[in-house]
Amino acid sequence: MKVAYWPGCVSRGFTPELHGSMAKIAPLLDIELIELERGNCCGAGVIAEHSQELADTLNARTFALAQQTEATMMNICSTCQGSQTEAQERLDANAEYREQINATLEGGGLRYDKGKVVNKNLLWLLVEDIGLDEVKKRVKRPLTDLKVGPFYGCYIIRPTDRLGIDHDRPRDRYMHMLIEALGGTVIEYAGMHKCCGFPIITMNKEASLKQAGRHIGDAIDADADCLVTPCPLCHLNLDLQQPLAERVAGRDLGLPVLHLPQLLGLAFGLNEKELGLGRHVVKPTSVIDWSTAVVGGVAA
Amino acid sequence: MAEFTLRLRRYDPESGQPPYWAEYTVDLEPHRSVLEGILQAKANEDGSIGIRCSCRAAICGSCGVMINGRAGLACHTHLDEALLGGRDGVIEVEPFNNMPVIKDLIVDMDAVHWKKIKRVTPWLIHKEPVPEREYIVPHENMVDVTQSMACIQCGACVASCLSMEVDPLFVGPAALAKSYRFVGDPRDAQQYERLKDLAEDPHGMYDCTHCFNCIEACPKGVAPMNQIMRLRRISGNDHHIVDRNNGDRHERAFVTLIRGYGLLHEAELLPRSYGGDSWFGKFAPAAGQEMASSLPVVAKAVMRRKVSIKGAMLGHKIPKADLKDVRRIYDLVEGKDERNELNLYITGYDEDLDETPGVMAATGAGDGAAASAEQGQPGMDPEDSPTR
Amino acid sequence: MPAHDVLIIGAGLAGQRAALAAADAGATVAIMSKVHPVRSHSVAAAGGINAALKVGDTWESHAFDTVKGSDYLGDQDAIEIMAREAPGEIIHLEHIGVTFHRNDQGELGTRAFGGASQARTYYVADITGQAILHVLYEQIMKYSDRVDSYEEWFTTSLVQDEDGNCVGAVARDIRTGQMEVFTAKNVILASGGAGHAWKPTTNGLICTGDGISQAFRIGAPLMDMEMVQYHPTTLVENGFLITEGARGEGAHLLNGDGERFMEKYAPNKLELASRDVVSRAEQTEINEGRGAGPNGEGIYLDVTVVPKKRTLEALREIVNIGKDFAGVDITKEPILIRPGQHYIMGGVKTDADGATPIPGLYAAGEVACVSVHGGNRLGANSLLDTLIFGRRAGEHAAKRAQGMPMPEGKIGAAELERDINEIDEIINRPKTGRRVSEIKDELGTTMNRYAAVFREEEGLLKAHEVVRRLKEEAQTAYIDDRGTVFNQDVLGAIELGYLLDTAEATVMGAIERKESRGAQFRTDFPERNDDEWLKHINISRNGDDTPKVSYSPVTITRWQPEERKY
Repeated sequence: MKVAYWPGCVSRGFTPELHGSMAKIAPLLDIELIELERGNCCGAGVIAEHSQELADTLNARTFALAQQTEATMMNICSTCQGSQTEAQERLDANAEYREQINATLEGGGLRYDKGKVVNKNLLWLLVEDIGLDEVKKRVKRPLTDLKVGPFYGCYIIRPTDRLGIDHDRPRDRYMHMLIEALGGTVIEYAGMHKCCGFPIITMNKEASLKQAGRHIGDAIDADADCLVTPCPLCHLNLDLQQPLAERVAGRDLGLPVLHLPQLLGLAFGLNEKELGLGRHVVKPTSVIDWSTAVVGGVAA
Repeated sequence: MAEFTLRLRRYDPESGQPPYWAEYTVDLEPHRSVLEGILQAKANEDGSIGIRCSCRAAICGSCGVMINGRAGLACHTHLDEALLGGRDGVIEVEPFNNMPVIKDLIVDMDAVHWKKIKRVTPWLIHKEPVPEREYIVPHENMVDVTQSMACIQCGACVASCLSMEVDPLFVGPAALAKSYRFVGDPRDAQQYERLKDLAEDPHGMYDCTHCFNCIEACPKGVAPMNQIMRLRRISGNDHHIVDRNNGDRHERAFVTLIRGYGLLHEAELLPRSYGGDSWFGKFAPAAGQEMASSLPVVAKAVMRRKVSIKGAMLGHKIPKADLKDVRRIYDLVEGKDERNELNLYITGYDEDLDETPGVMAATGAGDGAAASAEQGQPGMDPEDSPTR
Repeated sequence: MPAHDVLIIGAGLAGQRAALAAADAGATVAIMSKVHPVRSHSVAAAGGINAALKVGDTWESHAFDTVKGSDYLGDQDAIEIMAREAPGEIIHLEHIGVTFHRNDQGELGTRAFGGASQARTYYVADITGQAILHVLYEQIMKYSDRVDSYEEWFTTSLVQDEDGNCVGAVARDIRTGQMEVFTAKNVILASGGAGHAWKPTTNGLICTGDGISQAFRIGAPLMDMEMVQYHPTTLVENGFLITEGARGEGAHLLNGDGERFMEKYAPNKLELASRDVVSRAEQTEINEGRGAGPNGEGIYLDVTVVPKKRTLEALREIVNIGKDFAGVDITKEPILIRPGQHYIMGGVKTDADGATPIPGLYAAGEVACVSVHGGNRLGANSLLDTLIFGRRAGEHAAKRAQGMPMPEGKIGAAELERDINEIDEIINRPKTGRRVSEIKDELGTTMNRYAAVFREEEGLLKAHEVVRRLKEEAQTAYIDDRGTVFNQDVLGAIELGYLLDTAEATVMGAIERKESRGAQFRTDFPERNDDEWLKHINISRNGDDTPKVSYSPVTITRWQPEERKY
C-alpha cells in the first residue's frame, strides 16, 4: 500500500537507525513510502503548550501535504501520533476554527479538509491495514526465545477516547499482538504503559531519568532480553540516556532498546548492519547474538 | 443478572499481617457499578470491607480506587466494562496509588491530596475594591473555569500521576488544576504571584511529565494536564516568567528552533534549555555545566555514528520554500493580538450541534460556534431566549 | 478535651456556613463531620439557588412563591426573612469566589425553576451545590486558625447538663475508634436528611437521619415529619437525581403515549409546577397505565428540545449521568425517570434563628424545620435555606456564647460510657439475629410502598407496625467487623437506629395528618382542610413509649391560604 510517510524530526536527527530500518522493511511489507519531505515538526506537545493555534496550524500544514497524496498518512513516532491527533481533533471538531487555520495556510497554497486525512502510526497500520496474518507471512526468522518487553510511549495510548482505543480496537495491546505474531515472547512489566520521562529531561532531570531507569529495571527483573518502542523520543531517554539512568536508578541496566522497524527487520531476516543496531548507545549485543545464532534456522 | 468475581486488596492494620487478596462473587446486572458490587459483598458476606462512598453517582468523590490497575471512581465503572479490562475473568480492586493505605480500600487523602491542595492557596484572593454587588465578569471566563470547578477532589489524577510516582514532592495534577481555577478567574488579584510561585517551584508546574494519565483517570473531564499547560502558557506568554527549572527556556527554545529549522535540532535544544534561547545560550554557565555532564553520552553517540559532529552542530532543515512558509505561519499566528484557544470541553463537537438546525437558526448560534460564547444564547435568561 | 463556643455537627452547606459565620462573630468554633466536608450531600445539589436579586424582582414575590409552594404550611415570618436576606447572601457567595453563571453583560445570570413566578435561580452549570460547597471549604481552609475541623468523626449522641441544656456531644474518631466528649456552649446540628429510610432515594449513603434522631433522643420535637419530597425526575434505573434545571431549560415530560401530560395538571406552569404537583401527576399517569418504558413504570424526560449547545454548557452533569448510568445520550433521545424520595421538609423544630426548644441546641439545613418549606420545598430553595439559616444559627450561637461560661463538671461522662458500651455490645453480638443490611432494606422498601407519593391509613398503620418490629430486630442485628480502625460496620448499625427513629416519626405524622397538603397526599383524605389541619404536627420522645404527638400553629403574616393551582 502507498502511504504519505511522515518520518518526524528525531528519526532524521539523533536516531537515524530508525529512519534507515524503516526504509529497509517497507518494501518487504509492500509499503510504498511517499516521504513528506516538505512537512514540519509536529511540535511534540511543546509548541501547543506555547500556542495551540500555532501547533494546530503547523500540523494542519503537514496534513495538507499528506492530503495532496490522497494516501493514508503514516508516522513512526508515538509523540507525532499523539500531538498530531490532538491537533486533528480540534481541527475536525469545529468548522469555524478549521477555516481560520485554513486562512493562514492559504498563503502557502495549502488547505486541510476534514475527512481526507487518516494518520496512523506504523504499529496501527500493521495491525489494522496490513493485518497480522500478512506480517506473519514475511517472517523468516521467528523471534523464538526472544523475550521482548513492549514500551508504548504515552502519546500513543492516552487519552484513549481521542486515540480511538477501546475493546474493539485495543491499540494499547497492538505491540503485544505483534511480538507474538513475530514469534516472540511478550514480557509484561510494570512500566510498559508508563512514561519514559523525556518531557522533563531539562526541567527535572532526576525525575526524568528515574522513570526511565525504573521501567528498564522492571523489564530486566521480568527477564526481558530487550525493549521495543514505536517512539524515538522514548528511545532517546531509554537508550541514549541509559548510562545516566543507571546512575540515578542505582543499579546496572544494560538492556537494549529496539525501534519497532528494527524488531520487524530482525524477524524478516535482515542483519544488524542493515538495521543500524550498532548505532545504539546500549549495544544490543544479546539481541545480535541471538539473531546470528538463529542464522542456521532462517527459512529460505 | 450475572455473576462477577471481585478481587479486593484487603489490609487490616490491627492484625499485624500484610495486605492480602480476597475474592467475592456478586450477582448484579452487568451495567451496575463496581461500587454496587463491593457494597453487595459488604452487605451479604463481609461487613468489614472498608471503602469510602456516599452519593453513588460520581459527584461526591469518595469512592476512588484502582480498578484493574487504573485509578477511577468505583461508582462510575460498570461491572461489564471492568471485566473486559481485567485479567483471568476477575475484576481487581486496590486502594489508590501514591497514598498511604489506612485500611482495605481506604487511603490517607490528607497526607497527599489535601496537602498539595493546601499548598496552592486554594481560595479566592479578591481584587480590591470589592464592589457593592457582584463583580462584573465576562461570561466566557466563568464558563472557562467551570472545567476546573468540575473537580470533585476524588484524587484519581493524583493516584495515577507518574511524576508523583518518582517525585512525591510534585505538587500534582489536582492542586495545579485547582490553581488554574484561580488563575483563570478575573476576580483573583494574585495571578502573577500564583504563577511565579508554581513556576519557580522545582516540583511545580514544570515537573509534570506530560503523560496524560490524569486526563485519562479524571471522571469529570477536568483534564488536569491541560490546566497545567494553560498555567505554563499564561506564565510564559503573559507574564514572561523565566523559571529556574528551565521550563520556560525549554518551551521557548523548542518554538524558536522549529521556526529556524522546521525540524527539531536536538543538539541545540539541550543547551538553550539551560542557557537561554539564542545561539549563545550554550555558553551560559548553566548550559556549560549541563553540556559537560552530557559529554560522555554525546561522545558515545558520535562514536557509534548515531550522529555526526556536523549534524549535531548544524542540525537539519526542511527545504527552503517550506521553511519560508513555516516562518510565514509563525509570524502570522504569533502576530495576532489575542490567543485563539479552542477548548472542546466547552464548545463541544460540530456533529453534536448540527442536528437541530431549526432551533439553532432561531437562536442565531451558527454552525460550529466558536470558543467565545458571544453568540448571546448561553448567557441569556432562558426567559428572553427566543426558543421559549 | 475539646471545648468550644460553638460545635457544629455536619459539614455540608449549612454546617460550613454556620462555622464561618460563628468564627466571623468571634466565637471559638469546631466543625465535625463523619465524612470529609466536601463529601457532604450538599455536593449533589445541582440546579441552583433562589434570590430576588434582579432589578424588577421583589423579595415579596419570592416569599409568596415559597408560601404557595409550601401549600401554606410554611411559617411566613421565617420565609420573609429568607427571601429578604437571599440577595445579600448571593452577593456574599460571589465575593468569596463562587463561579456563578453570567449573562452577556457579565452580571449574575438566572435560569427558570419550579414554582417560581419569574426566573430567579442563580447557578453554576448544573453543579451549583458542588460549586458553593467547595468554595465554602476553601474558606474553611483559609480560616483554619479560627475553625477547628474534625474530619471523619462520627457523633453518637448529644450531651446535656442537669438543667437540660445541650452542652456538647460524644463522638468517635473513625480512624482510630477513639471516643471523646466534645464540650460546647452551643451545638448546631447540620447533619442533613434521612433519605435512606426509603429505597430508592436520591440521597447519598451518609444521609441516615443522625441529627434528627440525636435531637429527638434528648427531647427536641420533630416537626412536619410526614412532609417528604419525592423529586419528579429520578432515574428509573437506580434512583439518581436528574436536576430540575433540565425542566428549567425547557425539557418536557411525556407519558407512554407521548403526551405532554402536565397540561392537564398544571396548565400554566406545566413542567415547572411545584415538585409535589409534578410527582403526583407522574405517579397518576403511571398508576393509570399510561407510564413509559418497558414495564410502564416511568415517564420520559425529553431534553432533546433544548438546544444542544445549551445542554452541553448548562446541563453537563446530566449528560454524563445519562451516558454513564442509563446508557442514554440525552441530547438525542428521552430518558426514563420517575418520582423518587429526595428531601425531608420536616425535621428538628427551630425558630428563625435556628434555635430549638432545647437551650444550647440549634439546627440548620435539611435536618431542621423552621419551617420555610412547609408541605413542599421549591427547587433551589434548599441551597438558600442552608445558607441563610446556617449563617443565622452560627451568628446567634456565637452571640449566645458571649458572656456565658464554658460548661463545667463531668460533662458527658455518662453519655460517653453509655455509647462506648453500646458500641462494644453491637460488635460482640452473636450472629443469631438479622444482618443490619437486611433490616435497612426492608425498612426502605416498606417506606417506599406506604409512605410515598400516595398514602392511606391502612398502609400507614402497616408501615408503623413494620417499623416497630424492625426497631426490635435492630436490637439483635449483628455485624462482621470487630476492629476499631475505620469500623464502618458498627457505624452502619448505629445509623440504622437513626433511620428507624426518623421513619417512625414520618409514619406517625402521616397517620395523624388526615388531609392532603403539599407532599402529603392521602387518598382517603384527598382535600386540603385548612379549618382542621392548618397547623404543624410535632413528634416528641415519650420515654421508651410510643412518641407523643402535639401541634403548633403556623405563623401567617400577610398571605392568607388560598387554593393552590399551577
